[in-house]
Amino acid sequence: MSEIDGLDDYRTEMRAWLAANLPARVPGSSTLDVDGLTPEQLADGRAQQKQMYDAGYVGITVPTEYGGQGLSEAHQRVWIEESAGYAVPLPAGVASMVTMGVVLPTLLANATEEQKRAWIPRLLRAEDIWVQLLSEPAAGSDLAGILTRATRTGDTWVLNGTKLWSSGATYADYGICLARTDWDVPKHRGLTWFKVPLHDERVTVRPVRQVNGSLEFCEEFLDDVVVGDDMVIGPVNGGWAVANSMLVFERGVGHIEGPRAGGATSQRELAPDLVELARQRGTTGNAAVRQLIARAHAEDWAHELLTQRVTARLTSGSANPASAALVKLSMGLRNPERAIAAVTIAGRLAVAWREAGSSGERAATGFFYGRQFAIAGGSNQIQRNVISERLLGLPREPSEDKDKPFREVLRDAQGWGSADR
Amino acid sequence: MDDELTDEQRLLHDTAVRFIQSELPLAATRELHEDPRGYDEKWLARTAELGWYSLLVAEEHGGGSISGHGLIDLAVVADTIGRFVQPGPFISMNVVGAAVTADGTAEQRAALLPGMVAGEVVATWAPFDSTGKWDGGHGLTVTADGDEIVLRGTRGFVQDALTSDVLCVVGTLGGAPVQVLVPTRTAGVDVEPLTCLDLSRRMGEVTFDARLPAAAQLGGAGADTEVALEHQLQIAVVLACAETVGALDTMFEMTVEYSKGRVAFGRPIGSFQALKHVMADVAVFLEGCKAVATESARVVDAGGDDAAEVVSMAASYIDERATEIAQQCLQIHGGIGFTWEHDLHLLMRRARSTTSLWCDPVWHRERICEVHAL
Repeated sequence: MSEIDGLDDYRTEMRAWLAANLPARVPGSSTLDVDGLTPEQLADGRAQQKQMYDAGYVGITVPTEYGGQGLSEAHQRVWIEESAGYAVPLPAGVASMVTMGVVLPTLLANATEEQKRAWIPRLLRAEDIWVQLLSEPAAGSDLAGILTRATRTGDTWVLNGTKLWSSGATYADYGICLARTDWDVPKHRGLTWFKVPLHDERVTVRPVRQVNGSLEFCEEFLDDVVVGDDMVIGPVNGGWAVANSMLVFERGVGHIEGPRAGGATSQRELAPDLVELARQRGTTGNAAVRQLIARAHAEDWAHELLTQRVTARLTSGSANPASAALVKLSMGLRNPERAIAAVTIAGRLAVAWREAGSSGERAATGFFYGRQFAIAGGSNQIQRNVISERLLGLPREPSEDKDKPFREVLRDAQGWGSADR
Repeated sequence: MDDELTDEQRLLHDTAVRFIQSELPLAATRELHEDPRGYDEKWLARTAELGWYSLLVAEEHGGGSISGHGLIDLAVVADTIGRFVQPGPFISMNVVGAAVTADGTAEQRAALLPGMVAGEVVATWAPFDSTGKWDGGHGLTVTADGDEIVLRGTRGFVQDALTSDVLCVVGTLGGAPVQVLVPTRTAGVDVEPLTCLDLSRRMGEVTFDARLPAAAQLGGAGADTEVALEHQLQIAVVLACAETVGALDTMFEMTVEYSKGRVAFGRPIGSFQALKHVMADVAVFLEGCKAVATESARVVDAGGDDAAEVVSMAASYIDERATEIAQQCLQIHGGIGFTWEHDLHLLMRRARSTTSLWCDPVWHRERICEVHAL
């Protein structure tokens, strides 16, 4: 990489700046967990990202006209390599990651020149934190089946509907929101993206308590939220292509966070969570328990290798982009098995415990959360469709809704299974 | 591993495929199913010309690899052998070639290696007892008697025992493991052929009541056999994993194609989610198998400190996945998969027997715990 002029100097300067300005990352900790963040903590986080921006380390590859550094992918790789050991500020946790990893590239690829000049510098400086307003209570895997509507009224759009599973929306300023703008065309052809101000009085953000007690995810109610044409992202009724480009970025973020979230062991310590449970129960000598531990350990290793293999080919461009689904499904298959092994070894330790955060409690929580990546970000079943249709070239299932106006799709679904069908 | 090859490996792969397609394609291997020897000697000599037995052998004896990564290159060949279910003593020849190169005395190297590299001398490895246990040589006792040693006992599951010229036998001498290079024509060495799951593979059980010069001990007296056995095991597992991946990849290609062409209920069966989701899972498992097979070859070739752990992780992973993949491929084929004429069972036989020989998941998982001092 040193063939690019100045890259070594760039690295040296960066190294010095990192050492002087950022704390080292505590192994096993994550800057993504930001439950119960106070307004002061959030403001501090924003200030830290602003400081990093001022030093030139936010938006490294973003063009200078949008407030970025206008540098190469090679410079970005230097940042990834050098910053790996540091707690890089993510003021709003997952929401900040989504802002930088999903919303930013989506805007760069789809927003107008004017929008990019106005919005992206604020985003880079953490003045604006964005979330995705994507899934709904009645539409998850079938994203194109959303019911939130944007109605043209005079010169403006009026949005109504409910969005769900937006990470960290209580901390965010804007949502990138998918809404239906035409009900009389097939579902993929009537969708449009909007920028929605979350501080608007007609938007209600409500945290959703999850099975582990976390309040990271939110639900948003949009009641006659009015936005202008300047808030439309991409073409009206051309939202599905934008959505597809966004999902590619989203899977990229999934790669970065997935294995850690799933409890993989990059240092190849023998499945530490499982060994700890076995030690507490005195079962490290039990042959069946040893098999479970060693199997989980080998599975962790294999998943990491699979991820590296696929990622390398995606990065070099030699792989079908749909290959990302192999990584996602691998994780979605492994994590639940891994969590079940923990519950099996934990036995009664995962039924009741003295101290919060005990390994028994973690195993108990894992009994639900092992399935997190089997569902979120495209369920196992969706990944299986992607792999079989786009990688293996298997024919698609006949579709009930692909060529039918969406209004009729909804009507016909009501009669599904009745005698006249 | 097909898409990650260097130019040299690509050449090795393409040469092997061309040779196999012209000399012994999968359909032609069927003609050898009833042959007690399992392969043709002239064919073996020609595979030797392709370098199938030389990559782990010292250069001075006609071996060596251009890339300097003989085992990685050899894994490419193993993958191809698995794809076309080739007969012959590929894994065992290479293990013995590496063992004699690493540990043999000057006389042993000169006597065996040039002939093995040329495919004129067939050598096989006999590490298991008659129940298939990897037992550190306990089923075979070696005792010293002056300038001679006496072997008494049995070795089981010896690949190509009937056609081998030399057996590299694991036994115990004074309670510690030793390896002895035993010419099969030695008096008191008896081979009883076994019936094999893999129709392109031959195995025998060998009983010993034989007397040999003491110099037949691999590396002479005092050789560190524990270290040697570990290294040989690692080579065998790496090649077994690669061979299995080749067989699995072929099986899966056949299955996907079949599901696109077979019509039921007015649709290709591959359009049903009940089947395509199974194939998507298999695609993930297969990708995992390729990733771990490639990594285990890399680590063992580089002599990594973690090689023992890595081969055991790869072996246990691939063994389990190979079973799942093979079973699902048969399921999707349905009735046709049960016919003798269809090639699917030939590949299933190869994958199952190679993994059962070298990748026993229960044994390898226990070893992973031991490596980590659990």
